[in-house]
Amino acid sequence: MQGNTACAEGAIAAGCRFFGGYPITPSTEVAEHMALRLPKTGGVFIQMEDEIAGIASVIGASWTGKKAMTATSGPGFSLMMENIGYAVMTETPCVIVNIQRGGPSTGQPTMSAQGDMLQCRFGSHGDYSVIALCPASVQEMFDLTVDAFNLAERFRVPVFLMADEIIGHMRERLIIPDSVVSGQRVPLEQGALPFRAGEDLVPGFPTFGMGYGVHVTGLTHDERGYPCATSPKLHEDLVKRLVSKIEGARDSIASYDMVNPEAETVFVSYGAPSRSVQQVLHDHPGDGIGHLRLKMVWPFAESLLSRFKNAETFIVPEQNLGQISREIERHVDGDVIPVPKLGGDLHTPDDLYRVLAEVR
Amino acid sequence: MSEEEWLRQDRLPHIFCAGCGNGTVINCTLSAVEQIGWKKQDTVFVSGIGCSSRAPGYIAADSLHTTHGRALAFATGIKLANPALNVVVFTGDGDLAAIGGNHFIHACRRNIDITVVCMNNMIYGMTGGQGSPTTPAGGLSTTTPYGSEEPAFDLCVLASAAGANYVARWTSYHVRELTRAILTGLETPGFSFIESLVQCPTNYGRRNRFKQVTDQIEYFRSHTILVEKAGRMKEKGEEVPAGMILSGEFVRRNRPALGVRQ
Amino acid sequence: MRLQIDEHRCKGCNLCTLVCPYRIFKPGKQANRRGVVIPELDRPERCANCRLRNLYGRTLCGTCQMICPDQAISWVEEDAHVPKKVAIEY
Repeated sequence: MQGNTACAEGAIAAGCRFFGGYPITPSTEVAEHMALRLPKTGGVFIQMEDEIAGIASVIGASWTGKKAMTATSGPGFSLMMENIGYAVMTETPCVIVNIQRGGPSTGQPTMSAQGDMLQCRFGSHGDYSVIALCPASVQEMFDLTVDAFNLAERFRVPVFLMADEIIGHMRERLIIPDSVVSGQRVPLEQGALPFRAGEDLVPGFPTFGMGYGVHVTGLTHDERGYPCATSPKLHEDLVKRLVSKIEGARDSIASYDMVNPEAETVFVSYGAPSRSVQQVLHDHPGDGIGHLRLKMVWPFAESLLSRFKNAETFIVPEQNLGQISREIERHVDGDVIPVPKLGGDLHTPDDLYRVLAEVR
Repeated sequence: MSEEEWLRQDRLPHIFCAGCGNGTVINCTLSAVEQIGWKKQDTVFVSGIGCSSRAPGYIAADSLHTTHGRALAFATGIKLANPALNVVVFTGDGDLAAIGGNHFIHACRRNIDITVVCMNNMIYGMTGGQGSPTTPAGGLSTTTPYGSEEPAFDLCVLASAAGANYVARWTSYHVRELTRAILTGLETPGFSFIESLVQCPTNYGRRNRFKQVTDQIEYFRSHTILVEKAGRMKEKGEEVPAGMILSGEFVRRNRPALGVRQ
Repeated sequence: MRLQIDEHRCKGCNLCTLVCPYRIFKPGKQANRRGVVIPELDRPERCANCRLRNLYGRTLCGTCQMICPDQAISWVEEDAHVPKKVAIEY
């Protein structure tokens, strides 16, 4: 099965019942498969007039209690940024799939890239935190989509599935389990203040139509949900809570594969380049090469890096000019060697082994 | 229940300037919602950004105050995901016709079962009085200091052409007619669009020869003409005086609609 | 019923003075504590809604309340309402 189709199947398995989107290469197959499958599972598919409307309809649908998703790529992702910030501010659970392609601008619609990794973290204005997952196989397109929904429901936050064109269009064997763990957002207690959070910093969800009479606004709001945009204290508290609920959980929700934690030289990868790293490890068994494959890039769990106690060098192959390698540099004392690759081709295992040989 | 019970008492008085017509349109909308007998828990008010879009914050039902221009897209998601909800959208001229113009025509085309109440004050009020797509030619604003050189959008004609099932225009002077029009809009399956011209004494009125709030209301009273009457005048070959506001029902039809409760 | 203006909500736009068929609302003369000039009521007992609402069981006229942008105009019950038979003499 194709990666994009696996993603759509994962969404349906996770309980997604609303898809609002707009066609864009190379993510279109996700929408196409949702259009095919959703009406038969009691869900709603709508092709909106643009990506802005796509994410807007998803946020609207989420407030009626439905699990909702959209899928897009570079230019569409840029259009969605304002409403992604809105979803963060209003704590709306939703899943946004970005099958990354070459940018900037229209760039390379049919070629692979990982150039939106910082955009998904920082693209909307203001301070905030989100969750971003990076699948490296068709099976993970399914599995991580399920995870994305569960995380969105649990943390009431937009969760990104930051795949790339290679994984999206790759065909591999997919095993669909009989059932998946499907988390549900915690409903707000009747009578409780709609934006007052408990210890986990995530307030209960006041679904529309259940009599909560909640006012939801993208303005800075108090615990009643009422706008109060001029109070410095209120704004600081709100934004800090929105960030803390994600960053405070980064170690507990971290998702990764770790190979050979005793290694001195460690590859750190996510998404498609992981496949080349895996090939290097496969071709050179017993060579003492370490590998950290991040399935969740944001929030960035820097504690994972310190678990490579002997690591002197981190090699970071990415299909961009070193977006995550810079994040890694912030957290380690050893050398960080970015291996950027633009244009859509994947690093070959030989490319990577050559870098490895040079640094050793 | 009365209209008063639909208001969030703890949030009044609202932020609208003295004499702003938005409050009147809220009254008329709540009166219509009250007359049709909708329950609070089944009703959702959605808005974008702008003066008009602050309205849902004063109504004690579920309400979504969204991003600039996108209210209709959010409302589409809500209505499709749960057709049992009654969805009313408050919007303004800048929100609907400028930044949200594309969502507007597509919502009309889809004929999605929501009611849109547009408070058209012919200016961007919240940002301090900039020209909008409905500022009349020659109208003064902070960005059209020598008079607007662009022709204004006729939102009702636009909605009619794009496929809405019900389209009407009144003003904040015509409270009875406006309430009745909104009620008809709520009753009509499919996309209903009710435009209400509203006075903006702070930003439009004082720059455009309406020194008092009552001056602009008096202008609305004396310068409206029923669509039907204008039509009859045209048939007879008479000229409809320039600057008259066409009011009344533009369209009432039964095109297939989306998201209607089964 | 008694007609009243909520001084807390009224912002003094005087729209009510324009629409009342009985001209009950008169522009006020003095600013209140908040600096708002609240309209004055001139013999409010003439208001149709004051007199006849309970008899008809629905709002009569009510234009001032509808047009009031600040939701400041309302009617309150003066005393417990006792239905009265009205004899019309010819």
